[in-house]
Amino acid sequence: MNTTDNLRKTIKTLISEKKVDLFLGWEKGSLPLSATPLFVTTGEQAERAIFDVTCGNNLSIYFTKDKKQYANKKVGIAVKGCDARSVVLNILEKQIKREDVVIVGVPCNGVLDKKKVLAATEGREVLELVDNGDTVTVKGKGFELSLNRQEILSSSCLACIYPDAQEYDFFMGEARGEVPNEERVKEIIDFQNLPDSDRWEQTRAEYQKCIRCYACRNVCPSCYCNVCFVDQNDPKWIGSTCEYTDSVIFHVIRNLHVAGRCVECGACERACPMDINLLMMNRKVAMEVKDRFGDVAGLDINGKPAMSDFKEDEKQKFIMG
Amino acid sequence: MNMVSLDKKKFGSFILELSAEHAVYAPGKAGGKTEFIPVESEDEIDLKTLVTDLSPKGVFFPHSEVLYEYDKEGIRVPQKEAGKPIAVWGMRGCDARSLLMLNKVFGSAIQMPDNKNFQDPYWKEKYDNSVIFGTGCNEPLSTCFCNWFEAGPHSSAGMDVFVVDAGNSFLLEPVTDKGRAVLDKLSCFTDSTEEDKTTAAELASEALDGMAEPMEVNGLGEMLNNKYDEPVWDQISAKCINCGACTFSCPTCHCYDIQDEGKGSSGKRIRIWDSCMFPIFTMEASGHNPRALSSQRVRQRVMHKYSYFPEKYGEFLCTGCGRCVTVCPVNLDIREVLKTINEYKKQGITNG
Repeated sequence: MNTTDNLRKTIKTLISEKKVDLFLGWEKGSLPLSATPLFVTTGEQAERAIFDVTCGNNLSIYFTKDKKQYANKKVGIAVKGCDARSVVLNILEKQIKREDVVIVGVPCNGVLDKKKVLAATEGREVLELVDNGDTVTVKGKGFELSLNRQEILSSSCLACIYPDAQEYDFFMGEARGEVPNEERVKEIIDFQNLPDSDRWEQTRAEYQKCIRCYACRNVCPSCYCNVCFVDQNDPKWIGSTCEYTDSVIFHVIRNLHVAGRCVECGACERACPMDINLLMMNRKVAMEVKDRFGDVAGLDINGKPAMSDFKEDEKQKFIMG
Repeated sequence: MNMVSLDKKKFGSFILELSAEHAVYAPGKAGGKTEFIPVESEDEIDLKTLVTDLSPKGVFFPHSEVLYEYDKEGIRVPQKEAGKPIAVWGMRGCDARSLLMLNKVFGSAIQMPDNKNFQDPYWKEKYDNSVIFGTGCNEPLSTCFCNWFEAGPHSSAGMDVFVVDAGNSFLLEPVTDKGRAVLDKLSCFTDSTEEDKTTAAELASEALDGMAEPMEVNGLGEMLNNKYDEPVWDQISAKCINCGACTFSCPTCHCYDIQDEGKGSSGKRIRIWDSCMFPIFTMEASGHNPRALSSQRVRQRVMHKYSYFPEKYGEFLCTGCGRCVTVCPVNLDIREVLKTINEYKKQGITNG
């Protein structure tokens, strides 16, 4: 049985046995490159659930939307490895209770990044997509291309070490296990090794594209402050213009605010309408957190988030210089 | 002057000639995405892209616009565009129509019932002096729905010169007197032939035929008003994450915030795009927020576009460009939203 069939069956059972009031999954979207979030409350709706290369959304954002809209409800959720870490983080940060969530892991081979698909079709509109596993077929007016999956995967997936949910109640198929990924930090190390001025130029060029739509913040499961610092206006903390001076501050503060909390799911980068390379900074911060505090966000349900914990022997370079 | 033909080999010299008296904007790459950028030569222009990632509204209504600067010496309004009027090349029908809508708001293009016709000097200075060269779309995208709104891929509304891409040449037809006057001053054209006119007409009808069947939008405003209090809004807004990607990429969304940035005795007042998707958009000083919930904000966006704006200005605040459809991080498709609300309770459908 394939993942989608398995997933549908599991959701149906959870709904019919009243184990959950609501199940968060994905269904085919109105565009061939995007699946869309699916909110299942009936067995009939479960038939629409899918899992494939288009299911990029990290659905755990919905736990904290509209001031914890699902409080006192049992909610089931389909998760990729990264999404599961978000659920765990939400649990560790007391946004949801473990007993109120049914976590259903799906075997993930990575999700696509629309801009990479469009680069492969040289901008031609894709009207149909078929996920064949190692390859993905895209069709449009007068063309059909078979693309290597690796070529179109989100940069977060190319750097992924934990494709499977580490915390789950059900798992739909075979887990891939940890993926050794030596190359994953190459981009970051290369960037680190640049002279200061080049680093600044690159950073400026990236954040100069920002239009301050906050899609990155709003798709981020770790960004759930009741009032975000950019929305505070009494006093106002930072400017709202699209000058890079304002945008850089927004992005840098966001990076630091999700330090030890970013699960590197890449939702921010895929959501960005301006194609800003948002993930590299987040991954750099995650790398620092692991190095200094030995913590990987959302991996251990019995752990404590790095920024909520203190150990006497942890590196204190940031204090001691 | 009637329709003229411009050989694509002469496009470069046409742009140069146009630049002599105009600040020319055209679709081009900025940081990897396409938007309307100031251009000086043919090489910077993207002639392929149909719907640019960002709409051209920013040319006339920038994301962040300094209204004035102040210090102890007084108040200064920043100089605009070195005095040259703006010429836009390659604007599509959807975007040209959006400027007509924005002009109703900022340029007071229609008489208001109370005769309080506000005219925004920042908008007017740029828009009133501009000349728009619009291009017909020969192969509309699957996300295009301009044919819902008494327009279509070859609509010339809002343009001064209508351009048809006929393969090896552009066919230019003046739409307004202003457009005619600009064309009269330029050379590099040849007269069009009867064959050119036939080609233009054929391309127009083929383009329209290639589009999906439009939804019936007559009575849309009334339908929405009738369903204002229905729970269907919770259902459709469930997936919305309330970012501003849709409103910022939309050619017609025009809500803004005014902010002061000051230090000591100097500072500036800036107009910045705002979005009804943001909770702070309606946050009151008391702390009360009349649109605290996502569903209320989604409803506002839909109602403003398809009910309130038409009630006040006589047309929908949507041109069917499809940008919001393409850009939405959760694939909340406005076409599906309208269809869902329309179908709701019609056939006893209460649960999606």
